[in-house]
This record gives sequence, C-alpha cells and structure tokens, in this order.
Amino acid sequence: MIEIDEKKLIPCPICSAVNIDKGKKNTCRRCGSAIYHHTSFSTEKSWAFLITAIIAYIPANIYPMLITNTFGAHDGSTILGGVVLLWEHGSYPIAMVIFFASIMIPVIKFLILFYLLISVKYPIGKDKKVDKHKLYYITEVIGPWSMIDVFVVAILAALIHLSNISIVAGTAATAFAISVFFTLLAAHAFDETLIQENRNL
Amino acid sequence: MKLENEAALDNLIICHQCYTLHQEVPIKDGSKACCSECGGILYWYDTTLIDKGLALSITGFIFFAMANFFPLVQIEILGHEQFITIPKTIFSLLDNGFYIVGLLCMFLIFIFPLMIFMINMILFALLKLKRGEQWTKDLLILLAHITPWSMPDIFLISILVALVKLIGYAQIHIGIAFYSLIVFVLIDLYIVKRVHISEIWMLRKRIVWEESKA
Repeated sequence: MIEIDEKKLIPCPICSAVNIDKGKKNTCRRCGSAIYHHTSFSTEKSWAFLITAIIAYIPANIYPMLITNTFGAHDGSTILGGVVLLWEHGSYPIAMVIFFASIMIPVIKFLILFYLLISVKYPIGKDKKVDKHKLYYITEVIGPWSMIDVFVVAILAALIHLSNISIVAGTAATAFAISVFFTLLAAHAFDETLIQENRNL
Repeated sequence: MKLENEAALDNLIICHQCYTLHQEVPIKDGSKACCSECGGILYWYDTTLIDKGLALSITGFIFFAMANFFPLVQIEILGHEQFITIPKTIFSLLDNGFYIVGLLCMFLIFIFPLMIFMINMILFALLKLKRGEQWTKDLLILLAHITPWSMPDIFLISILVALVKLIGYAQIHIGIAFYSLIVFVLIDLYIVKRVHISEIWMLRKRIVWEESKA
C-alpha cells in the first residue's frame, strides 16, 4: 500500500496516463516521455514563444497580405483592409469569418495566455471564479483556426496567376504564419499542472 | 488516498478539459463516460475499436490519395482555365519565394495528415495482429506529438472561403478532389473525436502479445 496526495497526481502530456509528481525529473511511467515540471523556470518558455508571436503579429497587420495585379496595377490589401473591403462588397459572412480568424482569435489567444501566464505566478484573480482550465482549453481549440487566412492566400495565389490578373501573397502572409505558429507553440509549452484548481476526487 | 501500487494509477483518469480526477468505472460496450464537472468525454468503451480504426484509417488514406491526385477546383477567368491540386498550392508558394509559409502549409496540410493516417493504419494492424509491443508504444508517442499539428479541416474551410471570394469574378468548377477532401476531413474528425489516444493505450494494456507468449 502506498499513500499518495491527490494534489500530486499529474497527467502525462503525451499519453495522458496519471502519474505521481516526483519533483524535478518526472518521466511518464507508461510512455517514458519527460513531464516537465521545473520549479525555477515554469513559464519562461511559453513567455518567449508568446512574445515572439506578438512581435510577428505587428508586421502581419502593417504589410499587405494579398497583392492583386490587374493589368499592371498593383493593389495590396492588409488583413483589416481585406475585411473592410469584403464588408463593403456585401460578403458579410466571409468578412466575419476572416475577421474572427485573423484578428479576434489571435488577440483573444494573446490575452488568455497573458492572463494565464501571469496568474500562475502572481495571485491575480485567485478569489474570482475564473475557470482557467476552460480558458486554456478554449485557446487550444480555437488556436489553429487562425491559419484560415494563410491558407486562403495560398489558394488564391496558386489559383490566379494569369498574365493580366494575378494574386501574389504579401509579406504579411509570412509574418502572420509565423505569429500563428508561435502562439500554437506557446499554448503547447504552457504547463497546465501549474493551475492548481478543482483538484479533488 | 491509498493505492496498492503504482500500476493501480491506471484506474484513475484526469479530465483533459478541467483536470478533475476521476476513478475509471466499467461501462456498457459502445457507450461513453463523461466528466461530472464539465461534461467532457472521458473515454469510450468499444470492443470493436481496432477493427473500426483500421477500416477508417484505410478508407481515409484512399480518400487522401484521391484528394491529392485530382484537381480541387477549376476556375475560368477571361477565357483562361486554371486548376489547383493540394501539392500545386504548396509548390506555387515555394516557387514564389514564400518558403516559410510554403513549408508550414506543406507540413500542416500534407505531411502531418498523411503521417497520422499511415501511423493509424500500422498501429491498428499491429494491435489486430497482437505484435510489436515496442513499436506500438513508439507510434503512439509519435501520434500524440503530431495530432495537434494536423489541419486538413481548416484547409477545407479555407477553400470554401477562397471560393466565395472568387464568386462574381470567375466561373468555378469543383473537382473530384474537393469531395474526396470532404470525406477525408469527416473521417479525420471522427477519428480525432472518437478515438482518444489514451483509449488506445488502455487497449494496448489489455492485449496479450504474441511475442511474450512464445
């Protein structure tokens, strides 16, 4: 018989087997993957990815996402410009989809990760009933959907390249793809075991 | 809380949505167990999981091959015809010098989905034959690493968005590959939603391996 503290049970991030937290060097008893649980740097990796993502998000909004060449005239549109243009043309659903995917989701993800990373270190909102696991789960689910804009640009650029009319991806496409990639990394790097709430049988 | 030994931890399960600790209970074949706190699905109990998984991953693989070989959409602008396939989309990005976006797309919509279905096929075949104890373990770990990075479903929605953007400018003909991609995405979603990796681990534990018998 062994006596264990329920608070010390953690799931393996790879195979989700329940493990006993043994301190610094944890390896999963089922799949052998390392379960990171550093006491000194718990959030730094996630912070680094998040800051990279935020930095990459700035050029993604400044530079044009799509460049349309019609009969020699170049016309670039940024993410926000594209949304406004679609809205003015009357394609409201598509404008909404692009707005949610490229502007709302990244910003929501930045804010949620920011809040989570701060709140696990400093007691902000401890007394308030904020379900942090739910917040984290939301970021994981909505995160990949911001890739929509990048894929749309890729498809349009591949589809339309005539001599008179062509669409070329802009600098923002690269910046935006990098930004999304790093937010995904930041979310994966976040150690969910740091949230010490609803841990009772 | 008292336990016999470390192996008894296998009877415990932590909800992946809200981190509540649960005790695993036996349930009816084909039914699911839900979390009492957040209602998320904890696990399914299904004795036909291996056969289902094998059949679905082979079907998905065939549809994925079809989605890649045939044209996705064909458009007509000013009398010119253009069509795209999935590989063509990726290569056109690389040709235009967008290496980062091109590589990212290549992994997210081509390599990872392909790998997932290949791994699933090998994995379920090995489990069916009750062979390869170490192999299945390595494949399961690899699968867990890749799964969050596979985005064929998002690509499908992107195609729809791109097509709606083109309405009015060009005539659009939808190709066979588009329908194949829809079927592929549905199978992919079903496998991701229905077959949790932890269930395969549970299943793997119950299997008596051929090698250890000999």
